[in-house]
Amino acid sequence: MDEPIFSLKDVYFSYLGKYPALRGIDMDIRQGEKITVLGANGSGKSTLLHLLDGLIFPQQGAIRAFGVALQEGVFNDADFSRDFRKKVGLVFQNPDIQLFCPTVEEDICFGPLQLGVGEKETACRLEKIADDLGIDDLLQRSPHQLSVGEKRKVAIASTLIIEPQVLVLDEPTAGLDPKTSCAIVEIILRANSAGRTIITATHDLHIVEEISDRVYVLSREKKIARVEEPERLLADSRFLEEHNLIHTHAHCHQRQAHTHPHQHPGPDHHH
Amino acid sequence: MLRRNDFIERSLAGALSFLKEAVFSDACALDRGFLQSLDPRIKIITFVLFIIRVLFTRDIVILLFLYALCLALAYYSKINLGFFLKRTWVFIPLFSLFIVIPALFSFVTPGEVLVSFSISGLKLTITRPGLSGAVLFTARVATSVSFAVLLGITTRHFALLKALRVFGIPQIFVFTIGMCYRYIYFFMEIIEHTCLAVKSRSGAKIHYKRGQRIVAWNIAYLWARSYQLNEEVYLAMLSRGYSGEPAALDDFRVGTKDWLWLAGVLIWMSLSFH
Repeated sequence: MDEPIFSLKDVYFSYLGKYPALRGIDMDIRQGEKITVLGANGSGKSTLLHLLDGLIFPQQGAIRAFGVALQEGVFNDADFSRDFRKKVGLVFQNPDIQLFCPTVEEDICFGPLQLGVGEKETACRLEKIADDLGIDDLLQRSPHQLSVGEKRKVAIASTLIIEPQVLVLDEPTAGLDPKTSCAIVEIILRANSAGRTIITATHDLHIVEEISDRVYVLSREKKIARVEEPERLLADSRFLEEHNLIHTHAHCHQRQAHTHPHQHPGPDHHH
Repeated sequence: MLRRNDFIERSLAGALSFLKEAVFSDACALDRGFLQSLDPRIKIITFVLFIIRVLFTRDIVILLFLYALCLALAYYSKINLGFFLKRTWVFIPLFSLFIVIPALFSFVTPGEVLVSFSISGLKLTITRPGLSGAVLFTARVATSVSFAVLLGITTRHFALLKALRVFGIPQIFVFTIGMCYRYIYFFMEIIEHTCLAVKSRSGAKIHYKRGQRIVAWNIAYLWARSYQLNEEVYLAMLSRGYSGEPAALDDFRVGTKDWLWLAGVLIWMSLSFH
């Protein structure tokens, strides 16, 4: 079997040294896999993604990426840092953080230009990605003029243009309407078909089956509660309810009141 | 009587709407007029040359010609002349009025007497050199301000910023200003939403002391939010390979029209100096 591109062993991270965000995380991720990290709000999903992207570093345990131990020091090596940033691209949860340039075009081109891709090549990639994602008409606009869905697409474009081997997405469908959610899922699946490893953090259960080969569920204790195939996991309502991913409530169907587990992935929710 | 809580609310709303209109409105810059079609770098260079010419001339005919040229450029750039005149002449009294009025009188500019009158027993005399100096000064201010406003409204602000690099302004400076431009709007939205949230929970009238407390609390919150955002944006930059030296796409293209315009301006400039 292939060597994992990411290997996490007993990883612990806390904020300000006293607020634990992750405890004892073990994880192996292989090239081309689709991994989903599920968890309720505040379970440490974003922190885990930031660790995988080498933005923060574990206080205990170890992370190896592409065979190298990820520690703050290794990013002082400019070659390693550039190589790693080319390989791993993170789409942040809040697109207002990721889109910091005055225009969409400049935002999308920021990554490749920083990573030493030539201007001509960057312009070619820009044209292709804008066409693929249907955002050609947004290029000259300012990020503040975009809708949430458009911002999210632009944020994904600004990461995909780097052509990373690993695409890491933090809540890519949060707050989006069903049609835009579908468009985002299609983009993710296309990226995976092109050979990219996909790591997605979400609590949006209706996309999990499509975008995952394997699901890691984070518990309220900030630990991995379960690693499972998506079909089996989604069938376990009790487990999902325990981890605050679905809820039970009473309501009526054709004048008959009843109670059962319930999730609201969008307007067309499942019973 | 002015209600103090209304004053704060109206000032905030006014400031926000002015900023949104003035800083973020790209409507004129997106029109397909003459100036909009020029390369921003060439446009800046030629407009700076025009302003320098305005500053170095004492000839009212040249000033009037330049002002007429400015209006003609505005017209051919599809700028509504009423809007343009209103926008420029609002600034001109601010710049010139307090300087020009004393210069009219003999105690500042002595010379041939034009008119004499007295106010409350104080005899005031307007002199010919005083008046011509005042007219020249006002014409200079009007023309310079008009060119500056015309440049601003026919060029998208980020393009204007990017073009500053022609003058050797470091990329990091241009990049930082660009980010400020981006996030001013973001914070304006936060302020606007906070105002609405306060209003929705407190009704129309708040005691002014409480209003002051809310404003102070909001300033503190905004500072904390900007500090947090600063860290998050830095992580987003690191994630896409930022290592201290920002790089930007140079997508400006100088065409034949730009070269012809530049050549025309340079020829006129050299002729006018002789």
